[in-house]
Amino acid sequence: MLSRVSVFRPASRSFSVLSSLMITEPTSTKLAEKSEHAPKSENLSDAQAAFLDRVIRVDQAGELGADYIYAGQYFVLAHKFPHLKPVLKHMWDQEVHHHNTFNNLQLKRRVRPSLLTPFWKVGAFAMGAGTALISPEAAMACTEAVETVIGGHYNGQLRNLANQFDLERTDGTKGPSEEVRSLTSTIQQFRDDELEHLDTAIKHNSYMAIPYTVITKGIKTICRVAIWSAERI
Amino acid sequence: MFSRNAVRKSCASLRFYHSNPIEHVNPLHIKPLAYGKQSPQYKVLSLALQEYVPKHGFTERSIVESLNKLGYPSSMISSIGASNSPSFVHSSTAVMELMKFQLVDKRYRLTEGINPDVTPHYKLPSLEHLLLKRLEMDKPVGEQLTDLMSQLAIPSGFLFETAIPELHRLSDDMIYFSNEKDHHDSAWYAKRLAVSSTYIGSQLFMAQDRSHDFQETFAFAKDKLHRVMRLGEYYNNTEEFAWYTLMSTVNLVKSQLARG
Repeated sequence: MLSRVSVFRPASRSFSVLSSLMITEPTSTKLAEKSEHAPKSENLSDAQAAFLDRVIRVDQAGELGADYIYAGQYFVLAHKFPHLKPVLKHMWDQEVHHHNTFNNLQLKRRVRPSLLTPFWKVGAFAMGAGTALISPEAAMACTEAVETVIGGHYNGQLRNLANQFDLERTDGTKGPSEEVRSLTSTIQQFRDDELEHLDTAIKHNSYMAIPYTVITKGIKTICRVAIWSAERI
Repeated sequence: MFSRNAVRKSCASLRFYHSNPIEHVNPLHIKPLAYGKQSPQYKVLSLALQEYVPKHGFTERSIVESLNKLGYPSSMISSIGASNSPSFVHSSTAVMELMKFQLVDKRYRLTEGINPDVTPHYKLPSLEHLLLKRLEMDKPVGEQLTDLMSQLAIPSGFLFETAIPELHRLSDDMIYFSNEKDHHDSAWYAKRLAVSSTYIGSQLFMAQDRSHDFQETFAFAKDKLHRVMRLGEYYNNTEEFAWYTLMSTVNLVKSQLARG
């Protein structure tokens, strides 16, 4: 919780996407290093808490979507176009890592997940697989569109986090709490990763997709609608 | 009564993001109550709940006796219920506040001193332990439970703004502060609904229970919790099998296609 940026570990995927209802292995908990006497921040206002609530829910849903989009693309393209396999694998692994990070945050900070989660899963997989079925370039155009919207969305969140979280501390200083700073740096890192994916997509000829405008505009609109609803529902 | 206002309020009273308690000062108010532990309201209501509710039930009389005992004028009763809007179907706003206090204060006391941010997972209490502990807290007011439950269940703004949100906050707390596994998808909602229904079922049972020391209630609660968890497992196993079937079908089709 208080660690800055979560460390990237190569993802391991088990056979089943389902999780059991019981805990199977003891999870390690990081002990907080903060002492009792360190200056404390004031509590978040309702508006601030509501904003963070939305941030975590929408980012979790978004990373889940990204994870499943790459799963769909990988499912279709990995065997037909072996030269794309490592590229897709790398991006997918990063998305799995992002997804896990926000899953942990969702549980720790007690935010409810989006009610539409099953729909996001199906929709994202279908979008990834569907564009990949058109052509590898169309899949890259899909990636380009998604990552453009996500990058802009993350930037909006970062602006808000930088402006609105000047909490007063008991020793008279002001500034965001460690928790908010950690969230900020996580989002910064993820935004950079997403923009790197955008570059990768363009390098792999996303603009050669036919019909390029329809795919990118359509997917951008879908992403905006999805973001709007994942924040709320 | 079922205005959009009530719906909006009950949505707004859903639980938000929780910042970690280590870095932040202790909140002044016990949300969603509008006062903290040091306030006169808290003292009056907690004394009423401890001393007089077991005798007189959730009535104005309990509050007045508690006010008298603490040396406040009994007219203060009007300010106690000030945060609730009056309703035709409820007797008085002060009684509504007393019921709200019973729900909120006991929920906070249930998880006092537990902090999953610092406590290792295996040291946290189990869900069953928390559920039974919460039922244990209602033992002194066991006689009054019928009255309490029927007042909480009256269809009114109070039901949607306080009773139902408090029930779900309680089950959310029980899952978060216990060593129960939590989820990222629909299971998050399903588990909370299951715990809420277990709790409310046990409360209804307790209201009718005449056994010594409510032994039957605790047996009922354990059994009910066990059964809803098993139901969850049934569902999960079905889903797992469906997924397995889907994957093997996909792989079969793929291999057939590869053969040409």
